Amino acid sequence: MNEAELNKLIERDARSYNEPPAPPLDAMWAAIEAQDWTRAASTDTSGGSATRGRVRRWMMDRRFQAAAVLLIGVAIGRLTLARTNTQATAATTNPTTEQTRVASAVPDTGFAAPYQVTTSRYLGQTAALLIALPADTHHMNAAENQQFISRAGDLLTTTRLLLDSPAADNPSMRNLLEDLELVLAQVVHLRAAPSRTELDLIHQALDQREVLPRLTNAAADISAAN
Amino acid sequence: MREPELIARVIAGDRIAARELYDAHAPRVFRLAFRLTGDADLAREFTQDTFVRAFGQLSRFRGDAALSTWLHRITVTVVANAMRKVKRFRERETDLEAAEPLHMEGSTSDPILRHRLHTAIDALPEIYRTTLIMHDVEGYTHGEIAQVLAVAEGTCKSRLSQARAQLREALADLAPELES
Repeated sequence: MNEAELNKLIERDARSYNEPPAPPLDAMWAAIEAQDWTRAASTDTSGGSATRGRVRRWMMDRRFQAAAVLLIGVAIGRLTLARTNTQATAATTNPTTEQTRVASAVPDTGFAAPYQVTTSRYLGQTAALLIALPADTHHMNAAENQQFISRAGDLLTTTRLLLDSPAADNPSMRNLLEDLELVLAQVVHLRAAPSRTELDLIHQALDQREVLPRLTNAAADISAAN
Repeated sequence: MREPELIARVIAGDRIAARELYDAHAPRVFRLAFRLTGDADLAREFTQDTFVRAFGQLSRFRGDAALSTWLHRITVTVVANAMRKVKRFRERETDLEAAEPLHMEGSTSDPILRHRLHTAIDALPEIYRTTLIMHDVEGYTHGEIAQVLAVAEGTCKSRLSQARAQLREALADLAPELES
């Protein structure tokens, strides 16, 4: 490609590169006004500690999005598998055996619809939080830890409410909720700057009790039941 | 009110004057931040940081260059520092939202050519990409870019030349399509 051809291409198409939308002037101004400019000037000697914090938050949000996408993928996969198994069973067995097999493949999630909706949402949010749990302390600052711990606190409250609800009548669901209560309580008791050991203990608890696979399976089972 | 008076009032703590300065410069700062990042949330954060830092350091602004140049210098610095980390993150994570639409409203050009050009610009080393975006996309002069990036004008021209050479090489196979 020669210079003239490149010029032609740039002239025609470069302006659409990262084409900016209209700037959200008022929203940005509100955020700027909320800052203490004098303090920012005296403390910002390294070129943007505030920026670094925001970039970390942005990355944190992306991690939550990725975790949510992962969970949805697992749920869809499980749902597809459950339906395939059901069809295969129907093709090879008589009606009586078929009913028994389907019942054993899909755990009893026959509690009232409002609890199913709440439980399904809760399982998704908890899975997203636990998948996003960092493996070490380098990826998060104190503010992000606080945000993480606050989310875990909300989910712990929901866990305890669900344990006292018809949703926990199913033994396997009760076991899962009890394990989640334990893990979430560990997360809630993390300090603002957790040590590597504290995080390792939580990861060990997750692994030993196979919490994440059970969590995603339960979420998929409720979706399948619905 | 003239800009030097506005600056003096902002330094004295006048937030109305600050808003006036902001209104005059924020659209172009946001534009530059968006061109460099390609992400509305990041562009917004970096624009905010640019103005927070600028207002905090306004007393150090000597007026040697235009205020816009000084602001754009802060913007480029803020973006460059933060994007190193963002790029490392993006290399590890799959960004499901990054897929660029092949058809854009109001454009008559070939979407494949456009996509290839944009991808090639993305792949440029950062100093070349910044220079090319400022000159060829945003229309800054070499003098303005040199002031913003705090380099000699000759360096700026050389970087643009390097950027274009790399684009020509990356897009060499498109020459026949451009001729047709």
